Amino acid sequence: MASLRELQRSFAAALRDPAVACAVLPPANLAVYRNNASITFRETLERTFPVVHRRVGEDYFRQLAAHYRQRFPSRHGDLHWVGRDFATFLHEHLAGTDYAWLADLAQLEWLRTESAVAAELRPIGAEALASIAPEALERLKFGLQPSVRLFSSPFPVFSVWEANQAEIAPPVDQSMGPEAGMTLQRRGFPEVRKLDAAAVSFLSSLQSGFTLGDAVSSAGLDGQALTRLLAMLFAEELVGSLGE
Amino acid sequence: MGPIPASAGIGLRSAHHDALLAERPAIGFIEAHTENYFHDGGAAMRALLRARANYPLSLHGVGLGLGSAEGVDRDHLARVKRAMRRFEPALVSEHACWGHAGGEHFNDLLPLPYTDEAARLLARHVSEAQDFLGTQLLIENVSAYVSFEHSTLTEWEFLVAVVGESGCALLLDVNNVYVNAQNLGLDAEAFITGLPPASVREIHVAGHARNGAVLIDSHGSKVCEPVWELYRRAIARFGALPTLVEWDNDIPPLGELVAEAQRADRILEEVHGLAA
Repeated sequence: MASLRELQRSFAAALRDPAVACAVLPPANLAVYRNNASITFRETLERTFPVVHRRVGEDYFRQLAAHYRQRFPSRHGDLHWVGRDFATFLHEHLAGTDYAWLADLAQLEWLRTESAVAAELRPIGAEALASIAPEALERLKFGLQPSVRLFSSPFPVFSVWEANQAEIAPPVDQSMGPEAGMTLQRRGFPEVRKLDAAAVSFLSSLQSGFTLGDAVSSAGLDGQALTRLLAMLFAEELVGSLGE
Repeated sequence: MGPIPASAGIGLRSAHHDALLAERPAIGFIEAHTENYFHDGGAAMRALLRARANYPLSLHGVGLGLGSAEGVDRDHLARVKRAMRRFEPALVSEHACWGHAGGEHFNDLLPLPYTDEAARLLARHVSEAQDFLGTQLLIENVSAYVSFEHSTLTEWEFLVAVVGESGCALLLDVNNVYVNAQNLGLDAEAFITGLPPASVREIHVAGHARNGAVLIDSHGSKVCEPVWELYRRAIARFGALPTLVEWDNDIPPLGELVAEAQRADRILEEVHGLAA
């Protein structure tokens, strides 16, 4: 008699491939489990990547999900992780085609789900700056909320994402070129913001632990741009800590 | 909130987060799928913390696959423990099933063969989980669409062996008993009478769907009359117990779900005369 381990391996093989036999009765009912696994996987992907799903349509999304599952099967008992490698997969799968931008759209949607489940720090208000001596300002380090994810793409994926939040989504002109921005969490829910490249460079430096002065010079910000970005950070409640 | 009363509760689904807070229906407890609350933050975590302030909580895991021969995922177990510290559930449950092999997870409640080997392995993993989590687990019988030629025990004999070896209790899903009776010819009456009265600590009822000749445990409709009848027989044997109405797909408005829970409360009252 097969050991439990062997039996589960043969059951698993039969779930992956209908041609593989497994000692169960009735054998035809294995299809229930085979369908459950593929539907659960695909629907989880659909929920994680609603804009990719919308852009490619149901039929092609099903094909992509099936190929993706063969290449990157679920590795966790927690469905949250099912979509983690989807952007990597699309990047490989679509490289050199007119649809290479879908990989970056998927990456943006994955970052959005990461933002959605990140911890929230009590935000620090702009008034905290008032107590800091002007000469100490440039040595300040800004700790951003753990939900902030920065992303830059050679494709206009932030515009694609935004356009597809509407009921009727106009096509986005791919010749619009590179875009950058961030995903974040506001009051528990994920949001997406398009930013200019200098802003993303600045925020990225802050995330890496640069001082305000170093982040400003590294991003090449002028005073006006800096004022605008700091106002945005405080208004979006993205500052979780301030220190030297 | 304290221990879970012997009355009916509902599963916490995101579609009801707002309504549950606004309407504060009189239900005995809420049950949440543990894996949905593994995160560091976000809307779902906030909602459970708020709901938790109003109702006792049961955390119901669907992802450990404790009957998997390849072992218990310690990382997953650590996340269950973290969720327990954060939400302080009064009950913690999982399933008598397996879920992964060869490194692949099927994210489903896969059936076990009813053998001494499988009972010992499941009991060992349940014990490992109980030791790590520092609590007794309730283990739920699952619905199955196939049976194994290898099985030498009945499903209830298998469960009794797991309880005996691990010291866990049972979460009796009467819909799953009904579904297995229909699909696999299981004797539902013998199942109920085959379990020791003290072994069951919670009951699940749910709706199912028919797909050709097969009943599917779909959790997407009202509880059917034969399942209510089986529920009545179960609480007559196992006593007044916390009873969860599961409704996870085609989720109705909160009021309709609460009405199903009230039906369970009425039956509890008819049989035991003490429901809320």
